[in-house]
Amino acid sequence: MAIIEVVNVDKIYNDSEVKVTALSNINLTIEKGEFTAIVGPSGSGKTTLLNLLGGLDSPTNGKIRVGDVWLNELKGSKLIDFRLRNIGFVFQSYNLIPVLTAGENVELIMQLQGVSARVRKQVAADMLVKVGLADRFASRPAKLSGGQQQRVAVARALASKPQFILADEPTANLDGKSAENLLQIMEHLNRNEGVTFIFSTHDQRVMNRARRVILLEDGRIKSDTLQ
Amino acid sequence: MLLSLSWRNVWRNPTRSMVVVVAVALGLWGGVTTMALINGWVKQRIADSIQNEISHIQIHNPEFLLNEEVDKTFNFDSVAQALSSADGIVGLSGRLKVFAMAQTDRANSGLVVLGVKPNSERSVSGIPNKLIMGSFLEGDFKTPSIVLGKKAAEELKLVNYELTDSIAQKLSAMELRLGEQIQPLVGRRIRTRSSFMNALRAELEPALFNHYSETLADSCASFRLNGPVVLTFQTPAGELHSAMFRVRGIYRTSNTAFDARMAYVNFENLALAANINPNYVHEVALLCKDNTSVVSIAQTLSTTYQNLKVRRWDEISPEIALYAAFGDFMGLIYIVIILFALAFGIINTMMMNVLERYREFGMLMAIGMNRLRVYSMIMMESVFLTLTGGVVGIVFSIVFIKIFAQTGFDFSMWAEGFEAIGYSSVVYPDITLANYVLVTILVTATGVLASLWPARRALKLNPMQALRVE
Repeated sequence: MAIIEVVNVDKIYNDSEVKVTALSNINLTIEKGEFTAIVGPSGSGKTTLLNLLGGLDSPTNGKIRVGDVWLNELKGSKLIDFRLRNIGFVFQSYNLIPVLTAGENVELIMQLQGVSARVRKQVAADMLVKVGLADRFASRPAKLSGGQQQRVAVARALASKPQFILADEPTANLDGKSAENLLQIMEHLNRNEGVTFIFSTHDQRVMNRARRVILLEDGRIKSDTLQ
Repeated sequence: MLLSLSWRNVWRNPTRSMVVVVAVALGLWGGVTTMALINGWVKQRIADSIQNEISHIQIHNPEFLLNEEVDKTFNFDSVAQALSSADGIVGLSGRLKVFAMAQTDRANSGLVVLGVKPNSERSVSGIPNKLIMGSFLEGDFKTPSIVLGKKAAEELKLVNYELTDSIAQKLSAMELRLGEQIQPLVGRRIRTRSSFMNALRAELEPALFNHYSETLADSCASFRLNGPVVLTFQTPAGELHSAMFRVRGIYRTSNTAFDARMAYVNFENLALAANINPNYVHEVALLCKDNTSVVSIAQTLSTTYQNLKVRRWDEISPEIALYAAFGDFMGLIYIVIILFALAFGIINTMMMNVLERYREFGMLMAIGMNRLRVYSMIMMESVFLTLTGGVVGIVFSIVFIKIFAQTGFDFSMWAEGFEAIGYSSVVYPDITLANYVLVTILVTATGVLASLWPARRALKLNPMQALRVE
């Protein structure tokens, strides 16, 4: 069974006097272990779709299933708890907590899950090893480069043992080398550990590495290609 | 980790946090010190009242309390023996109490005259130790003795003003011109303060007069010991009787009104003059081992002596008991007002803190931090911030109060005003552990309350929108 199923999803914003249709009639499934990029020009609905998949927003019409749970059936703290245990997030601007060390940033999500301190420490160290930052456990984000910070963010997402990781423009703030390095790590995690990654991106390098590319235009899926 | 995270968040902007910490510390130091001063004043007032004025317990003929008529006495022997052997009672004095008009050659004044046995009175009252001149009814004199308060002696014009050689020499050493100008006054005895001031004004140049006249008048005042005072009072038969006494002592307490009103004479002299059976008294004053035993002793005495009226100090002088309760309440009000004002500063800092971290809160809520945890984190930050200032302020207060509890806080420049309302001008600040606990609870509560508005802002954010904030 696919880990994500999107059925007839529309997203219409009524914030201003003008209705804006951000997504229209989206239907897709994502299987476990995919390395998928959602691409498209600005305003095409990439981030909106990612927010819907992550349970940060709800569709105007249609429904989304993650694992065996329909997100529209979850509200409030149940939805927050579901995100905590099932969905990993990597943001464009890293969003690490500056007063915590790299290790503590990774540990934080496990603490929210109620994992014991001993296990947290061990898992955080393991995750940082996986992203190539074994020696930066005690470094604060300010002492890390952008690429390193984004790798900590990946480690944080991995530490929650999610069903999939949503990465919103993860390479947008990185230089070429750092972006390449990050993508290698994520691809490695995908191929060797079966971690499912879904990206929204403009970055050609991400598109080149993705094994499935979903192209959005004007809120509709224009193409869905396996590479 | 949330605790540690909250603590570290407090210090993200150290300058801003330190401003709040210092403000809270100073505010609390001021508040706690004020509380300690009020407590010290109230405690001293209560102690002075009990020691000098009303003692712990008084026993009267109930009818005496209605109009304080001189014939409403009771037999002292009927209670003295039982009371002197009772547990918890450390002092006992039987008193006669009459209202008299006192006259000297130059003035008159109303007095409450207590007829006391000096040794017994010493066991319940601190007045014998408050003498600034003379002795407390000791010695065998042909004419009966009276001890007056300083204020009463001044009102009865029993004061002389004399510039002695030794004072003049001291003044010369202090300021030569002053020493020279006051020479014509040396050795002259002047009978009123206003005349003395006029004499000074005539001799001194204006600048010196303005600077030194009050101090000089105080230094040169001396009371006329052995001066005659005629007391006129009513006898039990309803007749007016006059008797002459001579001033053998002047006392001074921190309560000017008491000093102006209360005079002490020997029990036997007053009994004889007022024609009262010397086995009878108007009042028995008792001093207990400590304040805590007063209630139970008074209860026991009330049961034992049902025909007499037994009153505790707080019943005799309810206004003093009120001061105690009111003092605590006032201290609390001060602290609450200070914390209330500080809360706005804390809210401002916390609000800036939250607004600057909008995206971070969005991220935390997106990855799964629930609203309760977000609120807890902001609340802990606010409590940490407030408590840090609170702890600094309290530690500073403890040191400050400890120092001044030894040396006292000197408000002598307002002594006249303080003493007019019965308070000492030197205050020994006093604060209890319970007060500190209360202050700490209030500080914590302020921290919690100050976090509510900023936390509400954080909780209302939409993680999706917050993540887009630059």
